[in-house]
Amino acid sequence: KGFHCPDGERTCNPCLDAAKACNLNNSCKKQRSTYIATCNKEDPNRGDACSRKRCHKALRMFLDRVPAEFTHRLLFCPCQTVGCAERRRQTIVPDCSYNDKEKPNCLELRRICRQDSLCRSRLADYKVNCAMTPDSASTCPNQDNHQACLASYTRLIGTDMTPNYVDSSESNWVISPWCTCKGSGNQEEECTGFLRHFTDNTCLRNAIQAFGYGVDNVQSR
Amino acid sequence: KRARRPKPCSLRELELTVSELGLGYDSDETVMLRYCSGKCAAQRHNYDIAMQHMARAGFRKRGRKDKVSNGPCCRPTAFEKDFSFLDNRSRYHTIHNVSAKHCGCV
Repeated sequence: KGFHCPDGERTCNPCLDAAKACNLNNSCKKQRSTYIATCNKEDPNRGDACSRKRCHKALRMFLDRVPAEFTHRLLFCPCQTVGCAERRRQTIVPDCSYNDKEKPNCLELRRICRQDSLCRSRLADYKVNCAMTPDSASTCPNQDNHQACLASYTRLIGTDMTPNYVDSSESNWVISPWCTCKGSGNQEEECTGFLRHFTDNTCLRNAIQAFGYGVDNVQSR
Repeated sequence: KRARRPKPCSLRELELTVSELGLGYDSDETVMLRYCSGKCAAQRHNYDIAMQHMARAGFRKRGRKDKVSNGPCCRPTAFEKDFSFLDNRSRYHTIHNVSAKHCGCV
C-alpha cells in the first residue's frame, strides 16, 4: 500500500514514510522512542559507549510488541536513494546494537549465539524459514512463505547474531551479522557457508524485495 | 452578526515535521504535535474575580504595581513521554515535554 515510489521521484523516501506511520501511531511511537533513547544513551559505567545489552533488550521489546505492519515497514522499506537507504540502515541504531570495535569470526559469533537459548532458537528458526530451496520454482520454503522469513529475520535483531544492512547502498544492499570469515583457518568453508545464509540468500533477498513492492501486503494482515 | 461560542479548553493536534517545531533540529520526520487551546471562562474561581477587581484599582490604591492574570489559562497539565527521531544527518535525538497529553485551566 503506497510504498512504491513513482518513477523518477527524487524526494520519495519510503523509510521516512515508515517513520511517519510509526510516529502517528501512539504505541509504535512510544516503543520506538524507548528503544532509540535506550540505544542512544551513554552508559556511565562505560565511558561514552552505550549499553548494548539494554539496547538489544529494548529492540526485542519493540519488535515483539509493535505489529509487523509498522516494524517490517521500517526494516524493509524499499529505497531508490542513498538517504533512504541510510535511514533504513539506521533503523536498529547500529552504532550501539550492531557495530563493535572488533569484528569476530562468524563461527566464533555463532558459538556465542548458541550458548544463549534465545539466540540459539532464533538462529535455528531463521535458518529454517529463510532456507534457500533447491527447488527452482520457489525461493523460500513452504510455498514461498516470505512473511515467515522476514519474521524470523526480525526476531534475530536484539540477539548476538543481530543482522543489518552493511552500508547505505540503495540497490546493491547486502545483509550480514557483525562478523567476518577472515582467520577461519581450515574451517573457512564452513564459515563462508554460514555467512552466506545472510549475505547471499535468495530467499531473504526475494522476501525483502517482494515486501518493498507490496506483493506480500495481503499476506501480512 | 452573532459572536461564535468560544470553544472550551481542549487538546488539539497537528501533523508537523520535526524541523517545523523550531527547536533547532533538522529532520523531515513527521510528528503529531498535541497542544492546548480554548477558553477557560467557565473555570473562574473567586480568586480570579478578586484579581480582576484588584488589578483595576485595588492594587494601586495600596501602592502596588503588580500585574496578575485575571483568569485561568488553558495549558498542558501533563506532557507526552519523550519523543525520539533520526535527523537528516543520521543522528538520533530525544526531546522532552514537547507535546501535551492533557489540558486544563490552571
